[in-house]
Amino acid sequence: MRKITIDPITRLEGHGKIEIFLNDAGEVANCYLQIPELRGFEKFTEGRPAEDMPQITQRICGVCPEAHHMASAKTLDAVFHTDPPPAAKKLRELLYSCFFVTDHTTHFYILGGPDFIMGPDAPPAERNILGVIGKVGAELAGAVIKTRVQNHHAIQMLGGRAVHPVFGLPGGVSKGLTEEERKIIESTALDSLEFAKLSLKVFDDIVLKNKAYVDMILSDTFTHHTYYMGMVDEHNKVNFYDGRIRVVDPDGKELCKFEAKDYLNYIAERVEPWSYIKFLYLKNIGWKGFVDGKDSGVFRVAPLARLNAADGMATPLAQEYYEKYFATLGGKPVHHTLATHWARLVELVYAAERAVELVRDPEITSPNIRTVPSAIPDEGVGIVEAPRGTLVHHYQTDSNGIIKKANLIVATVNNAAAMNMSVKKAAMGLIKPGKEISEGLLNTIEMAWRPYDPCFGCATHTLPGQSALPVIIYNAAGKEIKRLG
Amino acid sequence: MAELNSPDKTLVLGLGNPILGDDAAGLYVVKELKNRIDRADVTLAETHLGGIRLLDLLAGFDRVILIDAIQTKHGTPGQVYRLTDGNFDAARHIASPHEISFTQTLELGKKLGLKLPSDIRIIAIEAAEVSTFSEQLTPAVQKAIPTAVETVLIEINK
Repeated sequence: MRKITIDPITRLEGHGKIEIFLNDAGEVANCYLQIPELRGFEKFTEGRPAEDMPQITQRICGVCPEAHHMASAKTLDAVFHTDPPPAAKKLRELLYSCFFVTDHTTHFYILGGPDFIMGPDAPPAERNILGVIGKVGAELAGAVIKTRVQNHHAIQMLGGRAVHPVFGLPGGVSKGLTEEERKIIESTALDSLEFAKLSLKVFDDIVLKNKAYVDMILSDTFTHHTYYMGMVDEHNKVNFYDGRIRVVDPDGKELCKFEAKDYLNYIAERVEPWSYIKFLYLKNIGWKGFVDGKDSGVFRVAPLARLNAADGMATPLAQEYYEKYFATLGGKPVHHTLATHWARLVELVYAAERAVELVRDPEITSPNIRTVPSAIPDEGVGIVEAPRGTLVHHYQTDSNGIIKKANLIVATVNNAAAMNMSVKKAAMGLIKPGKEISEGLLNTIEMAWRPYDPCFGCATHTLPGQSALPVIIYNAAGKEIKRLG
Repeated sequence: MAELNSPDKTLVLGLGNPILGDDAAGLYVVKELKNRIDRADVTLAETHLGGIRLLDLLAGFDRVILIDAIQTKHGTPGQVYRLTDGNFDAARHIASPHEISFTQTLELGKKLGLKLPSDIRIIAIEAAEVSTFSEQLTPAVQKAIPTAVETVLIEINK
């Protein structure tokens, strides 16, 4: 077969990119973060039985199928007006906790960690998981893999399948837990907790003991004063699976707390002509543009936001780490985007601790795992915290439970406005009139968006060493002057 | 997952999202291959995973043939490619912005002492539509499935 050269389409329209426009003076005038959106979801789901939604929606994304599955199952509870028995809720939350352990582990060590562990100035060839192994040692790297494998196995046991669980049903779950399985998952949860503690020690040793890194976290380049949103339990503690959505202002004061079904009263959408995705903002505050502050309705979700929006963690060890996090970073709320990586590790401890609690709950092996729905289905909203932030599913059905309308708000969309601001600020910090634009700009910009871990809907292919979001810079005349990534 | 890590020598793995149009091309190829071959030493499997999660699937095999959708700048939808090491990461699912490149994935696995296939081949099919939800392939890609199936059969017997 003939040899071919692959010329990637990454830079064409429809794929993620960052466009920076300069003014006559050569300063950053505007910055646009383009995130492609998958189309036709509503139409695709129309006319399908609502019970199929947990299986369909988990295929939207190869990264967090479990989050969509869980949000969808909760939406079906609401659509069918049924309340799952306590054991079913606990099994769902246990599976979800195992999922958080795998996802947060992956993000910290493989995606976000390299920036810190290798340092922001390390060449791209070293700023990856292989460089991380070189620095932290193969033993810890082995623990990363082991944690992932063990928790995937736990998810498989709970959900019936490793990747796309056939688990959540309206009113409960399809499968209970045997004592034998429970013991295996208990051991996994305990191992995961040790691993989480070790990860915070690694963060302490490598990042917090290095003044240059701490200064970078605290620097203005990576700071935004916004509102924060996250799910909390009845004591205002962080919860990933269930609770109410709480929003705090840039001073940390509660703005509102609402039930899933009321989300449309609090969140509004802003359409920008240059963007495929819509930008969300707080209805009570209003849209004032891509700006910081109390008067701007821009809010953030994901680990940084969740810790800010809550009064604490529901498990003891995570609470200790939570307190240290805020004490070190100057109190609540923390506005430093790069602190998201640290917040993610605090959540990793919580996820593992919560898994231990749930798997030791005497009710977890109860055979009472489903409340069979008897009401006529109509409409429902289900919200969970996905690793990347608040995830909303909203379905309307006819009286036979056939989907008439489906709307999803994914974490990336919640964070889109803030992400755009973060990228602009990073660009403004490095692009100065008369100064040549260096290759280092790309790295700083990547560090600005990586904590949010934007979802691109599907796996956009990227060539090795190439940025998932290439940066294109235009002069005041609109002519491309530089392309990075 | 367990059934994929069998001691069989060759893994033929279709990659793709079953509800994203041509993205599912690799899955269709494997579906057809299941009607065509039945050999103890060849495992046929499908997955929606990418990046590091692939490692779990590849471990234990001597040889792997991945079948994935691809989009190239001047490609013709339905064109079938056999990719070599240098352009592995251009295929759609073996790398993702959330993850690490395929080459890095393999290197990582080896560093961790996993037994990974030494012989890796990729058959890629040029996709036309991968950003609209659909359970159907576009006609050009649909027409290319038999060609891709034959290409994989040749690779298996090589």
